[in-house]
Amino acid sequence: MILPFDIIILLFVVICAVAALTVKDLLSAVVILGAYSFFMCLMWTQMGAVDVAFTEASVSASVGTILLITAVFKTTRNSKD
Amino acid sequence: MLDFIMAKYNYWIYIILMMIGFYGMIGKNNLVKKIIGMNIFQTAIILFFISIACKKGGATLPIIEYSHGGEHPVVHAADYLNPLPHVLMLTAIVVMVATLGVAIAIVIRLYRDYKTLEEDEILRKIS
Amino acid sequence: MKSLTIIIVLITGAVLFYGTVDMPDWGDPNSPASRHVSPRYITQTVAETETPNIVTSLLADYRGYDTLGETTVIFGAGMVCILILRSARKREE
Repeated sequence: MILPFDIIILLFVVICAVAALTVKDLLSAVVILGAYSFFMCLMWTQMGAVDVAFTEASVSASVGTILLITAVFKTTRNSKD
Repeated sequence: MLDFIMAKYNYWIYIILMMIGFYGMIGKNNLVKKIIGMNIFQTAIILFFISIACKKGGATLPIIEYSHGGEHPVVHAADYLNPLPHVLMLTAIVVMVATLGVAIAIVIRLYRDYKTLEEDEILRKIS
Repeated sequence: MKSLTIIIVLITGAVLFYGTVDMPDWGDPNSPASRHVSPRYITQTVAETETPNIVTSLLADYRGYDTLGETTVIFGAGMVCILILRSARKREE
């Protein structure tokens, strides 16, 4: 584990989580959630869990983002909070 | 004091992430925002489990070295990371995507019936 | 309503922060999670399953029923998605 790398990735993860919940546009929120998943994937790689990072990148960051974008396009893009 | 902070700051950041996700689940009004909060919540818990598997002091990935070609090398448990949380969280990630799919199906169905994604408007239309 | 939500979240966070005081240090090789059953998996996996990747041998050999149950969960989720979306389409007709 490399300490500066760890702290930077943790900071990015927290910023992405806050941004995904505060952005008004739902499509932007979903894309920021995809970025959050990829930062989480980097973090697991530097912790040594390569299989989990692989599964996260392929399943959660791609398939989950595609499902959420489909949901946003089938419903509405704007939200009140 | 500095040793205590260095030993625990990872856990504290995971708990902050979990609090953000929990606030998104119970405090936000939009249904897609609730799903995003649930995703953050589950990812924080998976991150906590993965961090349990870490070992300091020269431990490498859980793949046995020099094991091809029929000979069985002597393996010390301190040289490799703990593989058990990785396996359990591999299952948890797949289950996470399954719950995400069901939640999205329910959201699309609700939008077809009520033409809105806000929780209070749906409650007003039901009553 | 908003303040009640924040109070609930802060209470949950405070309880969890209190719980981390008793956790083992980050990356401790002698933590309870690394001493109980995982040394046996690490040392015996090549002799018993001939698989260098311990995660694969655990997932497919030692805990195969777990993976079977996971597959059942995914199948159930897909069936539920189809049922929810299809009944909606039928009612529109």
